[in-house]
Parts: sequence; C-alpha cells; structure tokens
Amino acid sequence: MDATDAVIDVQGVEKIYRRKVHALRGIDLQVGAGEIFGLLGPNGAGKSTLVKVLMTVISPTKCEGTMLGKKIGDKSTLTQVGYLPEHHNFPKYLTSRQVLHHFGALAGVDRKTRNKRADELLEIVNMTDSASHKLGTYSKGMRQRIGIAQALMNDPKLVVLDEPTDGVDPIGRRDIREILIRLKSEGRTVFLNSHLLSELEMVCDRVAIMVHGLMRQQGTIDELTQGWSGFRIKAHTAISELAFDASQSAVHGVECTGKPGESELVFKTNNAHAVQPAIDALRQHGVVIESLGFHRPSLEDLFIQAVSKEPDGARPGAQKAKKGARS
Amino acid sequence: MILMQTQAIFIDAYRELNAKKLFWITMLLSLLIVVVIASLGINEHGYTFLWFDLDFFPGPMGDIDPGEYYISLFSTLGISLWLTWIATILALISTASIIPDLIAGGVIETTLSKPIARSRLFLTKYATGLLFVALQVGVFSAASFIVIGIRGDYWEPRLFLAIPIVLAFFSYLYAVSALVGMMTKAAMPAILLTCLFWAFLFLLNMADGGLTVFKTQTEIMMEQRMNRIEQIEHNTIRLIRSEMNQEEAGSGEGYLPSEAEIEERNPFLPQIKRDLAENQAALKSLTLWYRIVYGIKTVLPKTGETASLLRRYLIAPEFSDETKVDSADPNVFLVNEEQLNQRVDEVYRSRPLWWVLGTSLVFEGILLAFCTWRFTRRDF
Repeated sequence: MDATDAVIDVQGVEKIYRRKVHALRGIDLQVGAGEIFGLLGPNGAGKSTLVKVLMTVISPTKCEGTMLGKKIGDKSTLTQVGYLPEHHNFPKYLTSRQVLHHFGALAGVDRKTRNKRADELLEIVNMTDSASHKLGTYSKGMRQRIGIAQALMNDPKLVVLDEPTDGVDPIGRRDIREILIRLKSEGRTVFLNSHLLSELEMVCDRVAIMVHGLMRQQGTIDELTQGWSGFRIKAHTAISELAFDASQSAVHGVECTGKPGESELVFKTNNAHAVQPAIDALRQHGVVIESLGFHRPSLEDLFIQAVSKEPDGARPGAQKAKKGARS
Repeated sequence: MILMQTQAIFIDAYRELNAKKLFWITMLLSLLIVVVIASLGINEHGYTFLWFDLDFFPGPMGDIDPGEYYISLFSTLGISLWLTWIATILALISTASIIPDLIAGGVIETTLSKPIARSRLFLTKYATGLLFVALQVGVFSAASFIVIGIRGDYWEPRLFLAIPIVLAFFSYLYAVSALVGMMTKAAMPAILLTCLFWAFLFLLNMADGGLTVFKTQTEIMMEQRMNRIEQIEHNTIRLIRSEMNQEEAGSGEGYLPSEAEIEERNPFLPQIKRDLAENQAALKSLTLWYRIVYGIKTVLPKTGETASLLRRYLIAPEFSDETKVDSADPNVFLVNEEQLNQRVDEVYRSRPLWWVLGTSLVFEGILLAFCTWRFTRRDF
C-alpha cells in the first residue's frame, strides 16, 4: 500500500512501562482509506495498547507516523475519529440519547447536528425504542450498540472499534457486521480489534496479527494465506517413516507440512500434477488415503500458526506486569 | 468547540448530581435550616419560635436590631455550623467520586479519545465538583436573603459573599479529595483522607486559637501589671515628695526616690514585678509557639479564617479602649472576658485577606497543578 493512501501509517511504535515491561516492540502498521482492517492477537499481545496509543489514551515511548495525515497524538485529528473502547462503561444515570449527546458534544458536534445524528444512529443500531431508558437498565448487547452509535456521532472518517461484538448474541453480531459493511460502503475506514476470527474473516479487507508486542503478519487474507494453501492428504492410519520419506522423495521443490507418525500431510502447491507422485509413493507403501483435497487455511489457522511461533526476544505475559494493559 | 465541551461536562455533572439523592437531601436540609432561621425571632420579651415566646431562654442583652439578630443567626447557624461543617461533609461525600469516576476504566478511554486537552478536561471536571457547593450555597444565601429581608427588614446583599467564601473554603478540601481520588482511583480513601486532613487543620486552628487567647490574655495581664506598677510608682513618688514638702517646703520638688524606697513603702510591688517578669517569660514562650503555628498555617489552607470572613464583613467589631479589671482589689489582676474576646477578635481581623485567602489558594493551586500534571502524563 502506498503510504499516502494510508489513514493510519505508523512505524516503530514502542511502549515500555516502567522501563522494563515491553508492551509494544516497534510496531509498523498501515491502514488504507476505506478498508476494514482487523487486528488480531492473543491476550496480552498489545492490541488494545496500540489502539490506545492511536487514540491518545496512552502515550507511546516511541512513535513515528500519522493518522488521517496528522501526527499521532494530535488531538485535532480526533474530531474525525470515532472510538469504541473495550469494556466501556458509560454512566448508568444517562439515557442512550444523553450518552450520544454528551460524547457528541465532546467530539465537537453542534446541537442541531447531534439531534439529527442521534436519531439516525439510534435507528441504525436498532435502539430507537429504548432511547429514553437509562443505561443501567440495558443488557450488555444494548450497551454495545450504544457504544458503537457513540463512536459514530461525529460522522468520523476513521472508526476504531475494540472488541465491538464482545458480549453480543449471534443476531447482534450479524447486525454489527452489517453496520461495519455499511460504514465501509459510506467510504469510512474501520479499524477492528477482535478475538472473533470468524467475524473478522467475514468483513475484513486486511488483517494484521500481533504477538507479544510485535507485528507478526499484515496483509489481505489472500496474501497471508498464499504459500500456506496446498493439497491435504489424510491417511486412514499414521504414516510410517518409510512412506513419509518416499512421498518426500517423489516430489521435488514442494514443501510439505507433517511428520512421520501423523496421519495428515499438506503439500504446499496449487499444482495438482505436482502432488501425484507423492500420492503414488504413499499408496505403494500401503498407505490408505482417506481423503484428498485442496486446503486453504482459515484465519484461525494463520492465527494459531503465528501465535505458536515464539518471536525473538519476546517475553510472554509481559503485559501481566502492567495493570490495565489489556489487549 | 471549547464552550460546547465545557457545557457538555457541566450538564453531565448536573445529571450526575441529580442522580445522587444526597444532593437533594443536602438541598432540602439547607432549606430546612433557612426555615428554622425564619422561625426564630426576638421581641421585647426575648426569643420567639414561630408565635411562641421562648421564656426559658434568657433574652438578649439590651436592644438588638432584628436585622443584626438575623445576620448573626445566619452567620453562626447558617455558615459556621451548617455550610462549613455538616453541608461540607455531605458535599465531600457527594463529590468525592467525581475524579475517580472520570479516570475509571471504560469511561476515561472514550473521553480521552475526544478532541479535548487533558488539562482542560481535568480542571473542568474539578470545577463541576465546586458546582455542587455553589448551587447549595447559592440557594441557601438567596433563601436567607429573602427571609432576613422579610423578618428583619434588613436587605443585606453582602449575604451573597457567602457563595465565594464557602466555595473557597470547600475548594481547599476538595483539592485534597481530588488529589487522593486521582492517586487511589477510589472515592472512599478520598473522603477519609480529606476528613483526616480537615481534622488536622481543625486541630491546628484549635492550637492557634488557644495560643492566641493565652498570648492575648498574657499581654492584657502584662498591660494591667505595668499600668499598676506605673500607677503605684507615680502615687508613691507623689506621696514621698508631699511628705518631704511638709517637712521642709520645696525639698521634695524634683526628688526621685530609689526603687528600694518605693518598694519599701509598697510591700506588694515586688510581687507584682515578679509576676510581670513571669508574664514576660510566658509571653516569650507563647509568642514562639504562636509564630510556629502561624508559620505552619501560612502554608496550609486556612479553613477557620476563611469561614470567619463572612462574619468579618457582615458583623462590625465592638471596640473597647478600656483596660477593665474585674476585681475590687487593684492588686489582683483578672482579665475581663469581654475585653479578651474583643482583643482576640481584633487579632483575627488583623490577619490580612491575602494571608487568609491568598496563601490558601496557593496551596490549592499547587495541589491542582500536581493533579493536572499527573492526569496529563498518566496512561489509562
């Protein structure tokens, strides 16, 4: 992606707590205009810390780059940004309409626009009927909907949502997905931080995987799965060492995942012809093939693969040392 | 946009206060105090409550103007007892959660993601805490103004000085509450530590009050003894000269008897001088302690003096130039209570406004500056 197209373009973001806990270890990130970008990572990866750095909630130890063309930390940028934090807890004495007005006013939206926008957004998040009820009476899902509406009050160019489907039932999740797609169709950029990989897979144009404060992978799902897709051969029983070696010798230059003693091998190639000698070799060694097909890894596969590889210098659980550094 | 944001924060604060029952309880109690003030009165027989004469209470000494009576009632019952004690405790309880709530997880992230400077956000939020007291004192003062005007036929606009004075008084304590709330993120430690700090200030005020009384009392006694010594010496010299003139006309003129000669004729004079010396030694010690306490008070908020400011501006002091002695024996020295009270009152009234308010506000300013700095630097 051209850096000039990027809504978020940061390099070398670092956050060190109390000079010893490395929450972010030099993150480079580009988010393009008009795309839905998903940030993945296990707990403690530093996802929320990164989002909070972008939202000026946390000051970075080191950060270069821009958001919407202005330096990270520039408060004026935030007039064009909507943010839903994880575990938000808006005052319970407010009604949802009052929440929208309050945060809309803080975002610099005038009263007339707030009135109009609040009505529109309550309709979009399907909360019009409960608009005059106090938040204390709401379910988690309803509060989440209001949180999303709040993030959209200032008609933002960039919407940052941290775990928007957290605590939301399947119907609510579908509604939120539709909202995200609608936001994209309106030309807004959506930055999504979520644990729910299937949700991300359905809506994201590009994803990034963070592990232990490092950016492990970044790109479209196609880009990331390229090189990981291939033909999966599933045997009825465990493949012997002899059969495994024979299959490896039969194919040249095709990488294979799997080990002797396992019942599954994946040959990383899109070329069906290239795999035939391996199948023959396995059959010759008495391997009963149960299934055979082209395998394209899911986002979950990518995620598990990225998480299982320990990065250099990473210290697992570093975030635990810092209260409030959730991810 | 700044105005819009400030307005939003204040509206939210009002809603928060509105949601707290304690705000309305305090407001109702305030109005109840005004009703009590309105119910109390004086007539030619003494005190009255509604239309009943309170015969069992001793009546006021001499003629008291109803206006002055009500002003005094407003100052003692309304300000000294209600607004600067009970209502302040209720206000501290009600407002202690404002800063912890601001920085609570789940709220602060959303608020900080808006285009508002952290320092402005914190200071505006702090100001909303003062809104609680401003509303309470405002309503109380307005109601008292009307009641005193109607009942005492005394329309005194200076009653509204109670608003800035009580607000200043509360703000010293609220700054401490905000600091503790900022550091601990919890309302309960903020309430407890603020009350503890207030209790410390109260004890310091008690020490200051006690030292001021003892110092003034000693000064008065010294004045009485010095006057008595001067009087005795003067009379004795006159007597000796008179005796000498009787023996030989004109021989006593210009004669200055020695100290021993005077003391010989006045056996109690050495005792008075010894007592005076003791007084001087005591005064020296008292002055040292007085200065130490005064110095400590200079760097701390002066809650007592601030609360008394209204009294200073509303009630004129009574002056007495006489050094009264409540004793039939001129060589027994007693301090007249009324005179002592007047002199102590003079000491307090002589403390400049910049010292009472200025240094207290400097203390508050330092605390607020630290809180703001902490808030702007903190990660949430």
